[in-house]
Amino acid sequence: MVDKSILLDNKKFTIGIFDDSDKLLHAVKTLKEKGVKIFDCYTPFPVHHLDHALGYHRTNLTIGAFLCGMLGCLSGFTLAYYMNVVDWPMIIGGKPQDISVFTSFIPVMFELTILFTAFGMVIMFFARSRMIHGIKEDLLSRRQTDDHMVLAIDNDEDQAISNDDILTLLKKEGAIEVNNSKEAFNTSLTSEEELAKLLKKPKAPTKAKTSTKKPKKK
Amino acid sequence: MGHHTIKEVSQEKFEFQGRTKLIPILLIVLGAVMAGIGSMQVKNNWNAEDAHAEITHAEEGHHAHATEANHHSDEHSSDAITTVSLTDNPHAETHAEESHAEEGHHAHAGEHHGPTWMTRVWANLLMNSYYFWLFAVAAVFFIAVNYVANAGWAVMLKRIMEAQSSYLLIGSILLVGIILGSKDTLYHWVQYFHSSAAGDPNAAGYDKILESKSWLLNNTSLFFFIPFVTIVWIMIRMKLRRNSIAEDADKGLSMFKSSTKWSAGFIFFFAFSFSALSWLIIMSIDAHWYSTMFSVYNFAISFVTGLSVMMVILQYLKIKGKMTLVSDEVTHDLGKFMFAFCVFWAYIFLSQWLLIWYSNLPEETVYFAARLNGDFRPLFFINLFMCFVAPFLVLMMRNAKRSPVVLIIAASIILIGHWIDMYLLIMPGTVGEHAGIGLLEIGTTVCFFGLFAYTVLHSLSKANLYPISHPYVLESANHDVGP
Repeated sequence: MVDKSILLDNKKFTIGIFDDSDKLLHAVKTLKEKGVKIFDCYTPFPVHHLDHALGYHRTNLTIGAFLCGMLGCLSGFTLAYYMNVVDWPMIIGGKPQDISVFTSFIPVMFELTILFTAFGMVIMFFARSRMIHGIKEDLLSRRQTDDHMVLAIDNDEDQAISNDDILTLLKKEGAIEVNNSKEAFNTSLTSEEELAKLLKKPKAPTKAKTSTKKPKKK
Repeated sequence: MGHHTIKEVSQEKFEFQGRTKLIPILLIVLGAVMAGIGSMQVKNNWNAEDAHAEITHAEEGHHAHATEANHHSDEHSSDAITTVSLTDNPHAETHAEESHAEEGHHAHAGEHHGPTWMTRVWANLLMNSYYFWLFAVAAVFFIAVNYVANAGWAVMLKRIMEAQSSYLLIGSILLVGIILGSKDTLYHWVQYFHSSAAGDPNAAGYDKILESKSWLLNNTSLFFFIPFVTIVWIMIRMKLRRNSIAEDADKGLSMFKSSTKWSAGFIFFFAFSFSALSWLIIMSIDAHWYSTMFSVYNFAISFVTGLSVMMVILQYLKIKGKMTLVSDEVTHDLGKFMFAFCVFWAYIFLSQWLLIWYSNLPEETVYFAARLNGDFRPLFFINLFMCFVAPFLVLMMRNAKRSPVVLIIAASIILIGHWIDMYLLIMPGTVGEHAGIGLLEIGTTVCFFGLFAYTVLHSLSKANLYPISHPYVLESANHDVGP
């Protein structure tokens, strides 16, 4: 997975918004079959098999976890060995002060392995997902953080089929909304501004509708 | 990797005939012959090794004899005198007991009727019957856990677990038979309670520690408690199996609900009864010693070996072209279980070892002293390596838990490692320095393996390979652990 989220600025996307993960998965498969290069999918929850369908290989985070664990294990050993044997040997329970008390190092090594792995994973995960404090959000649609899924196709890429065909295909696959944005994706708005913009649109018609409907029912 | 949802499980059958049937039978015969030759070798070498004193022991078997009793009473009375003179306690009698309690193990080591070649044969039989019996116990436990936890992922493997648990019947019969047959040879507390010193605080050989354990270590436990527990387990296992077979024919939730109730009852009963059995069968070999971790330790062995055997059976069936609907995801999860319980075993081992090592009390360290000195020392470390280090490193990678070859290798390492573990549990306390791994040990294991394989494969062929009417069967077939 190339870190693409940085590239969201100044790009044009064709997006399809889905409200069903199965439809999204099917759409991805169909588009892939037609030779369409998909930029990415944005989902509010992990969709099983989507990573396979998009052709992503598995994360290397686990190797990082292993290295963190090894580092913790070695740190634990070094800590216990240095303190108990080298720097300040103490006779505890008549035990010798050398490597033969390795058994007593094990709890320290174990705990530090867990500690280093846990902290390392949290830090790595946040760094990898670019979830760093103060960073600008990369959102194609605010709804991707709630209950909708966004399928994004980069307009600059050469696709096997025309853009109109992609749009019709997305609709056929059950996208509740397709958007062929000709302009660059605007990320200059803050999240609050974008939310306000989004909430403004439906407000006016719903108010009018409810006001007209109410007297009818009575 | 394409993905499609399985809507219906097509049934498969395993046929137990021809070469598949012949090999286990041949293994039983081969094992028996090897064990027979091995025991003869042991017998001959035994006499050659201990040309003097041991011959009389071998001839006289395990009956108490007068000269030895006299010798011991001398030793004990002298002990008592020393203690009294040192402490000036007017209650000489009670002090005599206490001196014995303190030096209990040491004093008792001499009271053993030294091991004969028959001790080694019996210890072997006990070890292997217990080892293979644990696989079946673990399988019943795993079925029950899956029902109680409402788990769906392992449903496709349920018939393997059931087949594995089918060994419980014959295994229990063998185990109980061997315990009753070997009780005078292997358990020195049985010898003690037969002796005249038992129950008499004034007697010379009076053993306060063993007396305090007489509520558990007695003939009632051996003759009634062990058979009672195993019969209850066999009954519950039969009920679960019957429900499972009946479910195939009649759809609906009635069998599932019934099995869940029985499973819950089984787990409740199992927790107490398995602990008690592990104390009675294995821990009482070193009757003066005790560890509160011991039953958990035995359970860890049972579960991790049971899972490994399950994995081996699954991979065997896969090689035979069966169990095609068991996806890599399910195999992966079973591999995770193996990995997790290797770590669990190591955790329990360390929990037991660390406290004993730290507190350094002679009555506790005597157990590890026997295992860390002499011929058992290399085995002790091989055991740690094979049961924890090797499978931990091998099974850590995700791809390893999805590769049949690696899984079979890891399962074999675990199974051999725990065989050595069993060896270290039983041999130091019974055979002691005369123990060794020879034709006898390997032959007995091969024989039991053949018997186990025959029972399991026979049971596999008796039912369909998938429990198609189980409510969670599709969940298991479509199981997905995610990326």
